[in-house]
Amino acid sequence: MVVLPILTKTTTWWKKKKKQQNTTSFGGCGEGLTVISRCFFLLMLFLSTGGDGNKSILLVEANSHGGGGGGGVGGGFGGWASSASSNVGIAIIVTAMAGIALAATVVYSRRGSLKSPWSRKRRKHALLPKQWKRFFTPDGRLSDGGANYDMNSTQEERDLVKEQKRREYGSLRKQCKQILKRSEKSLKFKETSGISSNEGSGDFSQVLDSSCLEDMASASRSPSIFGRTLTEDPDPPIWDQALQSPSLLEEDGDKSGLTCEDASAGDTESSDSDSSEEPEDMQPLLATKGSEENYLDEPAKQNSSSTDLENKSPSNTENKPKPFNAEDFAKWQRIIRLDALRTNDEWIAYSPTQSAVSEIKAHQLADSVGLKEYDHLEPCRVFHAARMVAILEAYALHDPEIGYCQGMSDLLDPIITVFEEDHQAFWCFVGFMKKARHNFRLDEVGIQRQLKIVSKIIQRKDIHLYRHLEKLQAEDCFFVYRMVIVLFRRELSFEQTLCLWEVIWADQAAIRAGTAKSTWGRIRLRAPPNEDLLLYAISACVLQKRKLIIEKYSSMDEIMRECNSMAGRLDVWKLLDDAHDLVVTLHDKI
Amino acid sequence: MSYDYLFKYIIIGDTGVGKSCLLLQFTDKRFQPVHDLTIGVEFGARMVTIDSRPIKLQIWDTAGQESFRSITRSYYRGAAGALLVYDITRRETFNHLASWLEDARQHANPNMSIMLIGNKSDLAHRRAVSKEEGEQFAKENGLLFLEASARTAQNVEEAFIKTAAKILQNIQEGVFDVSNESSGIKVGYGRPQGPSGARDGAVAQRGGCCG
Repeated sequence: MVVLPILTKTTTWWKKKKKQQNTTSFGGCGEGLTVISRCFFLLMLFLSTGGDGNKSILLVEANSHGGGGGGGVGGGFGGWASSASSNVGIAIIVTAMAGIALAATVVYSRRGSLKSPWSRKRRKHALLPKQWKRFFTPDGRLSDGGANYDMNSTQEERDLVKEQKRREYGSLRKQCKQILKRSEKSLKFKETSGISSNEGSGDFSQVLDSSCLEDMASASRSPSIFGRTLTEDPDPPIWDQALQSPSLLEEDGDKSGLTCEDASAGDTESSDSDSSEEPEDMQPLLATKGSEENYLDEPAKQNSSSTDLENKSPSNTENKPKPFNAEDFAKWQRIIRLDALRTNDEWIAYSPTQSAVSEIKAHQLADSVGLKEYDHLEPCRVFHAARMVAILEAYALHDPEIGYCQGMSDLLDPIITVFEEDHQAFWCFVGFMKKARHNFRLDEVGIQRQLKIVSKIIQRKDIHLYRHLEKLQAEDCFFVYRMVIVLFRRELSFEQTLCLWEVIWADQAAIRAGTAKSTWGRIRLRAPPNEDLLLYAISACVLQKRKLIIEKYSSMDEIMRECNSMAGRLDVWKLLDDAHDLVVTLHDKI
Repeated sequence: MSYDYLFKYIIIGDTGVGKSCLLLQFTDKRFQPVHDLTIGVEFGARMVTIDSRPIKLQIWDTAGQESFRSITRSYYRGAAGALLVYDITRRETFNHLASWLEDARQHANPNMSIMLIGNKSDLAHRRAVSKEEGEQFAKENGLLFLEASARTAQNVEEAFIKTAAKILQNIQEGVFDVSNESSGIKVGYGRPQGPSGARDGAVAQRGGCCG
């Protein structure tokens, strides 16, 4: 399990943003948002910390430029969760005081004067850079050895991991492109014999052939390194042997043919072309053309072995590895491209740098990932969509059991808004998906389990409402389906979503860090952190409508319609208060 | 508002063919070029008048990706009509029609009226499926057929209304048991039910007194 620091990017982003606050409207909460976004990463990392035996390295980095004006927007940190081809988790954390406290701080400071458990607490400020730095030794380790978080690593070690992860992502991207090229070619072949062929496919492969921009953004430059990352034997990262459990060692190790050249190579302005690199490391893929089954044997192997290992981790025990299926993948690639172009533009206000991207750059990137028919969109949206394609596609390859499912783009959207480097966004997303992926399983056990819990919470809390739902045959709570799948992303604004997610992650992180009883008990008025806080929040929002539902609604359709039209009408803080109350009264009964 | 009948519709078809846009055009008379993709199921409704009879259409718009199918399947059951949509500029969406149809036949009411819609007819220059092919497929499978454009609104109204007319015709012919809610048909409050609930006659003009 590895975690990485990244930092500088988010920090710069933040700085730039500050500068632009005069011109960009953040509804008066620019500062708060900044804090939130930062915490966001922290917790995201936290969130994916795995269970037994998994160890993490923590990384944090102080930001000497942050915290302007003493507004409490302190130390910059960002984290980069990484997990090797499957299970590795991550985590990042902060200091002895914990990200949790920080998250709570954020929450408090956002609460203003509302009466609630959140606001009654003493307001705390986020750490200042100085305070932040104090937690680290000169080589970047946590001063206490990371004892509280089971993490210990130096800055150098983290940089290595970061570099390794960047390459891993680069290699996933390469494979995606190869597959896309192949499937487009075969499609073209099929269609030329068909009636009216799809006109786009002709130039498509050409575009891909000459593509380079996107690889420059994140992939390694050296062909030999790519060859190695794909094929070489595990060579466990030396820095982490003591930390990693055996299973993780094997798994992480398989990617670490590090030669560590040019750790700063992730520059999007680079003009290297990847096409020259392809022949070498992609040979295995191309050589087996005829047989769809194993033409991707490299990733397949990778995934099955990692899934085996994964079986040791609690979240994955029930899954049999699903072999890579070229047909599925081609389908995902198609849908991803359609969906990426349908992402809404709410993010624009939150990422000045990305929203100012030039048309040329945006279109180059779009072409390089095989995005078509984007002319109706502004450059920044094209750019955003192209990044979305790159990352979602890489994820589908990384996790072929889940692949791509609609809704994931909703989850990724905030992540790429804040992370400007694709590889960082990717690994964050991987961390996020550790839990969220269950929502997207074809067998629906993940979603069913959650709907059941919502149903149970409502039943325990409000039997009248529950009986009414029963009468309407709606007690399965299917009407909250969308809230569960995309974690309120559709109901809350961009900013509110981040707030909610962070609080949810803070709970999950607290559970993993084992601070449940002590710290959290005090902070949250005896409500223990809950793994399923989201579900309590969902129940809370249904319960807020109880009167309307009982008195006015006589069918599931109407409740569904109500739930689907909550966008912009929810107050995230009220929601959290109510959810918190539910946790207090019900957590031991559900 | 009161109605003589309420018909439940379901809109199905591959992702990105324009299901939600068709619905939005029909219910709100507007076109939104960039539309959030549908997660699970969404919902729309509108009143129409057929043979001077007010009919409420309640429309379930489903997510196109296969991963949501088992969820959307539960909506087939209570539907009286289905709009099966493909995109005339993307051949694969036409190729998948058979599998959608099989799904519908398997999970829906056997009397469900199905309208096949070749959407995006405004993009004729990028056409990948000819109108004749669409007609042919519809004919072979006993479906109604229209090419439509959610962007220009061409044939959108017609698609929903023709389907409703077909359902109404089926009711008049006694094909449906409208007293059974799983038929996807509800008789409006304003409309006294005949003995079988299936005959239409003198009561037709009574549309909507007391909702």
